[in-house]
This record gives sequence, structure tokens and C-alpha cells, in this order.
Amino acid sequence: MKAKIITRRDFLRVTAGAAMAATLDSGILGEARAEPTARVVVIRNAEVLGRQDKVQGEILQSMLDEAVKNLLETNESIDAWKRLFKSSDVVGIKSNEWNRLPTPKELEAAIKRRLLNVGVAEKNIGIDDRGVLNNPVFLNATALVNVRPLRTHHWSGVGTCLKNYVMFVPDPWAYHDEGCSPLGKIWTYPIVKGKTRLNILSALTPQFYGRGAHFFDRRYVWPYKGLIVGTDPVAVDAVGARLLQVKRIGFFGEDRALDVPPVHIMAADKTYHLGVSDLSRIQLIKLGWTEEVLL
Amino acid sequence: MRIWTFLVIMVWIFTVAVSTKGEEKRKMNQEISLPSEAGGWKWDGKETDYDSRTLFKYMDGAAELYLAYGFQSLTVRRFEKSNQPPLIVELYEMASSEDAYGVFSFEHQDEAVGIGQGSEFGGGLLRFWRGKYFIAIYAEGEGAEIESAILKMGRAAVNSIPATGPEPKLVGVIPGKDFVLVEKSVRYLRSHVLLNQRYFIAHQNILNLNRKTEAVLAQYLQDKQKTHLLLIRYLDLKEAGNAYQSFMKAYLPEAGGKDRFRTEDRKWTFARQRSEFVVIVFGAPTEADAETLLKATEKNLPRGR
Repeated sequence: MKAKIITRRDFLRVTAGAAMAATLDSGILGEARAEPTARVVVIRNAEVLGRQDKVQGEILQSMLDEAVKNLLETNESIDAWKRLFKSSDVVGIKSNEWNRLPTPKELEAAIKRRLLNVGVAEKNIGIDDRGVLNNPVFLNATALVNVRPLRTHHWSGVGTCLKNYVMFVPDPWAYHDEGCSPLGKIWTYPIVKGKTRLNILSALTPQFYGRGAHFFDRRYVWPYKGLIVGTDPVAVDAVGARLLQVKRIGFFGEDRALDVPPVHIMAADKTYHLGVSDLSRIQLIKLGWTEEVLL
Repeated sequence: MRIWTFLVIMVWIFTVAVSTKGEEKRKMNQEISLPSEAGGWKWDGKETDYDSRTLFKYMDGAAELYLAYGFQSLTVRRFEKSNQPPLIVELYEMASSEDAYGVFSFEHQDEAVGIGQGSEFGGGLLRFWRGKYFIAIYAEGEGAEIESAILKMGRAAVNSIPATGPEPKLVGVIPGKDFVLVEKSVRYLRSHVLLNQRYFIAHQNILNLNRKTEAVLAQYLQDKQKTHLLLIRYLDLKEAGNAYQSFMKAYLPEAGGKDRFRTEDRKWTFARQRSEFVVIVFGAPTEADAETLLKATEKNLPRGR
């Protein structure tokens, strides 16, 4: 049997169908509700960036605490952190150090502070990116926090939480096929499997468009002043990718194509069963500053 | 003794091979002599060269773009100035001037700055082409001083490229301002993967594009709506015929032998084969708009090869 050829017209049909479904109160949504769902918190604060985008550490800490509290539905944020981590845990904070748009140091510090509050020993907390394969904390980790900036990426379409674990393999280039669809496979390897308790996209100054491998274009970075937080990495990435897409449409008047469409997010859901990529099955909790929230 | 003689011969062969390779490299470097200083930024003295096998090491997944346009080599130089971010010059040698134009056109979006045969500068990135060379210059940081240095470096680098080369003839065939052509939307393409990145048509190569075919994609504004024109030149009539049939079967199966169909977005898609050319109009607001654009393109097609 010949495989069906997917054409532009299939997308036109879906668009037409979606518009039709929106006008009808059909049973389709009822079925969708029966599927597994995910919960993602988007929190923003207009004051989190000062002059020259200097991150205000205290405000960022309160944003993180509020996000985790709402994500876990606890009364106090420390209770939420205690549900995620035990004092006996060895915790690797997988960061991202790309020099043009790194994970803010203030965000790394905010995470570490709460791990210490939970009772995790300082010697059992590590923060690393490219050195994780040689870092004893990561090699012995019982829990991981995945934190990185939200941006487009030349070979995976978007650089988000799923992509952030590529440093856990010695041969990152082996995960390029089909728009980096195999990235989800990394999450099945023992060094990370089942260990990730929290996924955080720093959307303080996300990058919504880019060209090529090395060039960073400041025009495509905007002060969204937010964090996207969840326990499901696929859902967090799907929300992040959607935010960048909406911003592109607003900026360019169209969804200008990325170097690569971010197909790895759907592959992580459908092939590796790491979480929920369908936005209609993601419960999005929006907190804080609402101006141009875009989601 | 025999073993020693054998080893000496092997070392000699290896040495000769290495020097020959080095001489070839020097020949290439003699042809293009990049500047060693501009605007106070000085070359750090190192130069890294990549070929089609090693390009992935420099740019991971982005290499496909250059390989699709007949990539030959890449030379990268880094320039430094105290208390300023470093400046990077990338010199790409492509198979032809048409290919250099293609790389430039693929990501063209900013304003021209009059360097080389086609240029743009925006957000701190200078891109231009001249002859079979494409050059990208950018800094690992921002600021007015370094932006000025990038332009100075571009003007100095372009003088090192000895000859100009022709643009793809096919680009001259598409209708121009009379049809409100969006100038920066013109892309010269040589692979279906790149076509899909700029305008997705099908996940399979239903138009049989390859290194021996050439295509131009352009956007027009008709009644304030975007219409896309795709013009493809095949090696011969037979290849064009096969591609046209393949496209009609996969994309417009309901057309029933006609050259047009109103698709799900209530816009018109027209496709025609003329000799070794295939011309397709996507997303025209009316049947008449599609017909007019298509006829204007057909009128410009060269007769015979």
C-alpha cells in the first residue's frame, strides 16, 4: 500500500475543518477531554526586567514560587517544592549556557535556593550544561530540574526543554534526522529517564525567529517577562513553541518559516510518549501581567 | 632493513601528499585574500577551512542549505578589538554564481547596502554575494561601532573577489512590478526541502526537484492578498512532463484534466507545463488573477534552449 502524500491542501482542509468545528458544539471536544491532559503555568511580571534587561532576582524568585505553587495546587510554595524533591535527593539543574541567550543566573539561583530550603545538601546540587556527562552530581542524580531560555533553534526549530537534554549524549549530531525527531529518545536513557521533576522555560526575553547556525539577531528578541513551568516537558515545549509562533505572526504578519519545523515536540508525544503535545489537552494557567500575553 | 626502507618510503609519500594538499589550499587562498583589518578589528591570524564533509562540524543541521547550492568550501576568520565583541567573516565558495545568488536569496529579508552583486544588512548581519562567493559577516555582540566595522569589513572583503558572475536567468523571467512583486520574496531554489521551508507544498518531492533543476519562488500581492508563483525549469520536456503529471496527481487530483482548481481556502491554484518549464500559481484570489499572472510568466519564457 502506498503511503499517503501530505500536501499543503491537507493543512487547508484542517484549517477549514477547525473553523467549522468551532462553530458547532460537536462531541469531538468531549472525546478529547477523556485523553490524558497536562498542566502548564505561564507567569509574567512587568517589573522582572530592569534597565538593559537586568533580571530582578527577588521578583523572579517570587514568580517561580508562585508558578510552582499553582502547578502543584498547594497553599504554600515550599509545600510544592517538597512534593517535587526530597532532602535526600541528588539534584542536577540542567541549564543552558549559550552565550547570546543563557539561562539567567538569577533563575538558577532561585531554583537552588528552594532546593536548599527543601533540605537538599548543597554538595548534592549541581548546575551544569555542556559538562553534565562529566559532572558527578549529574552522573549520580536522583532528580533533575530542566531550565533553559525559550528561543528558536537552527536545527530543531525551537530550543526548548526537550532539546536541552541533548548534552546528555556524547553524539548530539546523531539526533538530527527528520527535524530532530529522535530528541525524545534521549529522555529514555538511564541518565535522565524518570528523573525530571520540573521543566522551566525562561521566557523573560524569548527569541522568536532566527537565521542560520551562529547568528543572533536582537530584533527577534522581545521582553515577554515570563516563565513557562510544568512537570510535562512536551506540554511546556508545546506552549513555548506556540508562544513563539503567535509572536512571529504578530511581528511578520505571517508565520514565517523557521529553519526547521519543530516536529520533535509531536514526536516526543506520539513516538516516545513523554507527554502531551496537543494544545487542546493542555490546561494553561495564566498568572500575573496580562498585557500582550499572546496565549 | 627492508622494513626501515618501507617506512622511509611511506613517510616520504605521506609528506609529499600533505605538501601537495597544502599547496592546493594556498592556491585557493591566493585567489581570495580576505582583509586582515577593518574599523580597528584585527584578524587573530587563524583561519579555519571546511569542505562538504566537515561543514556539519561548523554549523550542524544548517549545512544542508549550502550543500543544496553546490557548496565547495568555507573559510572562517575571526577579528578582535579590545573591549569589543569579536567579528566573524564567513566566505563560502559555491559551485556557480547562480548558486551564490541562491544562498543569498534564500534568507533575503533586509535592506540592501550596495556591496557586491546583492547585499543586505540588518540586525548586525551583513550578507552579500559576488561571483561564485557568498559572504556573511556578523559580530558576537551589538553596538554602533561594530556595525560600522561590519560594513567596512564587507566593503574590503568584496574587493578581494576577482570576478562577478551572472544571476540565474530564470529569475529574470518572472513578472515584476506590474504585478506587485514582493522583491525580497524572490527565492532561487534547487531542492524540494528548501522549497518546503519557504512554501510548503508536499512532504514528498512531487515536483521532482533536484540539483539539475532550477526553481524560482516569488510572492505577489493581488487585491492585498498573497499569491505565490513557482516557476521550474527541467532538463528537458520529458522531465517537465513527468513532474507536471506527478504534481497534478498528488496536489490537484480533482482538476479532471483541467489546469486549475479552487482549493479549500477558496483560492485558485493553476499549473501549466510549457516546454521544459512548469509554472504554478498558488492562492490567487480569483480565477482571473491567476490567469493573468500565469500568462505574464508564460510570455517571458525563453523559446527553445
